[in-house]
Amino acid sequence: MIWGLGIFRAMAVTMRNMFRPTLTVQYPDERLVIPERARWALAHKYDEVGNPKCTACMICERECPDHIIHLTVSGDVASGKHIDEYRYELGSCMMCGLCVEACPFDAIEMSHEYELATPDAGKLVRILLSDVPAASGKRAKGDGDA
Amino acid sequence: MSPLIVIVLRTLAGLGLLLLNGVVLIYMLRKVLGHLHLRLGPTRVGPWGMFQTSMDVVKLLTKEDFRPTQADKWLFRIAPMLVFVPSFMAYLAIGFSPTWHFANLDTGVLFVFAVLSFVPIGVMMAGWASNSKWSLIGGMRAAGQQIAYEIPLLLSVLGVAMLAGSLDPKVIVESQAGLWLGFVPKWYILPQFLGFWIFAISAQAETNQTPFDMSEAESELVTGFANEYSGMRFGFMFLAEFSNTFIAAAVGTTLFFGGWLLPGLEHNAVALALGPIIFMVKVYLGIFCMMWVRGTLPRIRIDQMLAFAWKVLIPLSLVWVVVFAIILKVVGA
Repeated sequence: MIWGLGIFRAMAVTMRNMFRPTLTVQYPDERLVIPERARWALAHKYDEVGNPKCTACMICERECPDHIIHLTVSGDVASGKHIDEYRYELGSCMMCGLCVEACPFDAIEMSHEYELATPDAGKLVRILLSDVPAASGKRAKGDGDA
Repeated sequence: MSPLIVIVLRTLAGLGLLLLNGVVLIYMLRKVLGHLHLRLGPTRVGPWGMFQTSMDVVKLLTKEDFRPTQADKWLFRIAPMLVFVPSFMAYLAIGFSPTWHFANLDTGVLFVFAVLSFVPIGVMMAGWASNSKWSLIGGMRAAGQQIAYEIPLLLSVLGVAMLAGSLDPKVIVESQAGLWLGFVPKWYILPQFLGFWIFAISAQAETNQTPFDMSEAESELVTGFANEYSGMRFGFMFLAEFSNTFIAAAVGTTLFFGGWLLPGLEHNAVALALGPIIFMVKVYLGIFCMMWVRGTLPRIRIDQMLAFAWKVLIPLSLVWVVVFAIILKVVGA
């Protein structure tokens, strides 16, 4: 053990770093692929035809710990529900994903949309669905639990 | 040409070199430190961020020149000058080739150290005049540290002076011409290895570079003595810091690495023409090594640092001067 040797070992490390690729990601130009299970803004899922899979069962609204999902529904189960508005307060959302877990119809997801900053506070409240017929709550035969 | 015009032109050339060095060195520092830390350094302005420092200079020039109301008006104004002017004066004694120098000084090396010893006064003045405790701590540290490390710095040069028999940079460089055993250049780094290490450590401390940047200490004192300065007054201090780095590397090159000499390229027209380029390349390699140290080691404590200067470096350099003098006398006899 020679006194001061650690300095030279440290300098070898930094010199090696000189020739290694940098860790910096130049964000707007370069983007990392975010993890598959990352939870960002809430979004609806759509079926093959393009209709939302939401049945307006209201479970997500009841389940949300922050009370930020607001559904306005007209009609009834017998004649078919109609979603007047599905309002989501993005600015108050804590991305816990409980709504997605609670949804029995696999109709919503935590999307990978992560650039959520906006200069306009109004954009932090999103109308995800408006004036669309809700999907039927009945499951097709053989459709397993999601 | 009248001597006055020559003086003015040389001064302007020196100032140009200083400013250019400042701009290049700041860019180099940010790039080198970045890559040592697996970062990128500046990338946005110009190709590879090349014009970043030029933009920074424009920013500094156009910034408000602010003075705290409680600051000591005159000392606050004089301090940046007192930091900047000595480091500008030190360029006078640097020889770039046998024919390229700002002035022909017989005691050039001594002159460099003499004028640079003004810098701590300016730094301490800046720290005191700012009327801020962080500035004051920075200034006090600078004074303590630079005075402590000036002694081993000067003593480490004595060995070279004994070998060359002169303090004239030109004579020192010329006496390093030739080869030992036909392939080892006769640079003073070999006989003066210990002297060189003492010089390198002290130079790092004298130029306020990490691990000895106690007077600046960004994470503790923001920018230390330059805390309350803005605009070009801060710019002068900043420039002086980088020009001191250049001077330290230039003096080190002159004393220990054969200045403008390259083995096999001595005393002919080509050597004369290439001299300044060789010198600058060596100086910049030296600066790169200083930045390498700077990018590697963490800041040590002020008491550790002063203890190291007074208890290790100064005794060591004193002993080395005596031992080397004896060796030189015995071998020479």
